[in-house]
Amino acid sequence: MPRQPVERTAIAVWRWEAIFTSLVIFIAGVIPLFASRVPVGISIGLGGLAFLLLAAWIAWYPGAKYRHLGWHLDDVGITIHAGIFWRTQSSLARARIQHTDVFQGPLQRHYGVATLKLYTAGSHFSRIELPGLSHDTAIHLRDALQSADGSDAV
Amino acid sequence: MPSESTLDFAPRKRLHRLSWIFASIEYLKHFLLPLLAAVFLGAQRDYSLWAALLVVPLIASALWHQWIYRYDFGPRGLVIREGLVFRNVRNIDYQRIENVDTERNLLHRLLKVAQVRVETSSGGGSEAVVRVLDMNAVQEMRERIFAARARQEATETGNAVPVREDLLLHLAPGELLRFGLIDNRGLIVVAAVFGLVTQIGSDRLLEAKVQPLLESLPIGGFATFGPLLQAFFIFSAIAGLIAGTRVLSVLLAFITLHDFRLTQMRDDLRVQHGLFTRISLTLRRPRIQAVHQKVSLLHRLFGRASLTVDLAGGLSGNAGQDGSRTPARELWLAPVCTPAEADRLFRIALPRVRLHEAAWQRLAPGARGRLFRLLSMLWLLFSVPGAAWLLGRWAPAVVLPVLPLLWLRRLSVTPRNRVQAVRLSTSPFDRRYGMASLVVDTAGARAVHLKIPYLDEDVATGLMRALHAA
Repeated sequence: MPRQPVERTAIAVWRWEAIFTSLVIFIAGVIPLFASRVPVGISIGLGGLAFLLLAAWIAWYPGAKYRHLGWHLDDVGITIHAGIFWRTQSSLARARIQHTDVFQGPLQRHYGVATLKLYTAGSHFSRIELPGLSHDTAIHLRDALQSADGSDAV
Repeated sequence: MPSESTLDFAPRKRLHRLSWIFASIEYLKHFLLPLLAAVFLGAQRDYSLWAALLVVPLIASALWHQWIYRYDFGPRGLVIREGLVFRNVRNIDYQRIENVDTERNLLHRLLKVAQVRVETSSGGGSEAVVRVLDMNAVQEMRERIFAARARQEATETGNAVPVREDLLLHLAPGELLRFGLIDNRGLIVVAAVFGLVTQIGSDRLLEAKVQPLLESLPIGGFATFGPLLQAFFIFSAIAGLIAGTRVLSVLLAFITLHDFRLTQMRDDLRVQHGLFTRISLTLRRPRIQAVHQKVSLLHRLFGRASLTVDLAGGLSGNAGQDGSRTPARELWLAPVCTPAEADRLFRIALPRVRLHEAAWQRLAPGARGRLFRLLSMLWLLFSVPGAAWLLGRWAPAVVLPVLPLLWLRRLSVTPRNRVQAVRLSTSPFDRRYGMASLVVDTAGARAVHLKIPYLDEDVATGLMRALHAA
């Protein structure tokens, strides 16, 4: 199966997202630590450790996410590969897609990437997402996944 | 009205004149818990006044709803009009109507009325809940809707098929007794009552009533008994508890599944059951997504099996038109039946599946060892501290209740053309053993995942490709 990677620029989007989340976690965790009665030395130590861990996560996670994300289009439908440790491959037939979304947040718009969201009539994973596509690819994929005869089967 | 053209079909039929009672009850249900809490906690006396103030507008709005509500059988479909200020006219095509289900509790039956639920295949709950109609009106609605549908189907197929209702399954009292003994719903009731009591905060009440009872027990004397006698008492207490919940389960089975009958009319399977609340459901065959058979240790002891179905769309507990929620109840095909009957019902529910031709495949060769390791780990994790805590004496009591779970045998069948999506997933542990698990998603699945764990990775990939291409 020739597996297509997603857009490389998406790494930048995920890195920014990771930075923002880390900042929130860091601030929410460290400020109470310094405000509390914990000795300053221990506070600095814990804060430093948290900083290092979050920095490592920012450095590693976006690239890892990129490496494990992929998709593959065939006659029947699409297969999406995702997940770093818990990996999944989701196959979805064209005839089963109820509707689709192409989603762009402000950060994604800046980097020209988009998330393709596919909805089925299923119950456990009725929405399957493929993030990190270039906006053009997302639109192209969406069109390619629209069933030719418009038939729908529940 | 000037906005209405002559082409518009104006519905004229009205709800039963006592509908407001049921509408009020439905509204009141949302306030039931706070009210109960107030009663149990014995809050200030003012509360009854507040409650009365709350009830008056509820009844008024229920009366208003009954006054305004109209329904009728239009040329193409069922027409329902609600509201005057915010008017909503709903048209439901006869062709799209899948079910006309009724639900009757004791009050409904006393007043000879029924709550009607009209469902289409769109999913996400009922299209309309008509609260309430008298039985003649229900019968008329059924006949009108299904006659219209049959006419449309007849013109499609070219000939009218004679309508005949075949009885597929009827549960005699003996079977209900078996079901009650197998199915431990009594325990759920006990848990629910306990949960409600603690939720409402009347655990204080419980303390006040139960504490003296417990204290009156000769606990001090208990310590002087020998270990054998102590063990005897504890085991008999456990046995009593189990027997009690089973008796409750049997009672529940007799109430909820009284006169359970499954009938077939062409492509419709009809289920009726209940002593006080009489439930009547229609399972349309084309909507059946999967059939699940469950055989527990107790099932096997009695030589029985249970069959449930997953249905696309409705009945799965989503919000209806008025925000009311249908309880996510199990859709029984057969609460209990013999294996032979189960076989027959499988064939009827999924006529195109040839189950007896199935070539069963094993899981990956390493699965047995992996499961054994996992279970032993879990067992060690839970039973060792438990056993230590109980001084090792009652360890068997900790381990025993787990055993029946290991003997559960489950068979799930879903036709290929019902598969919505397939997902293959591998955890880090899976990769270590070269295994993967496969999840199949259908439109109606609720509790039971169609999941195959511990597959050989290549087998899983092949299976996914086969299912994807289907």
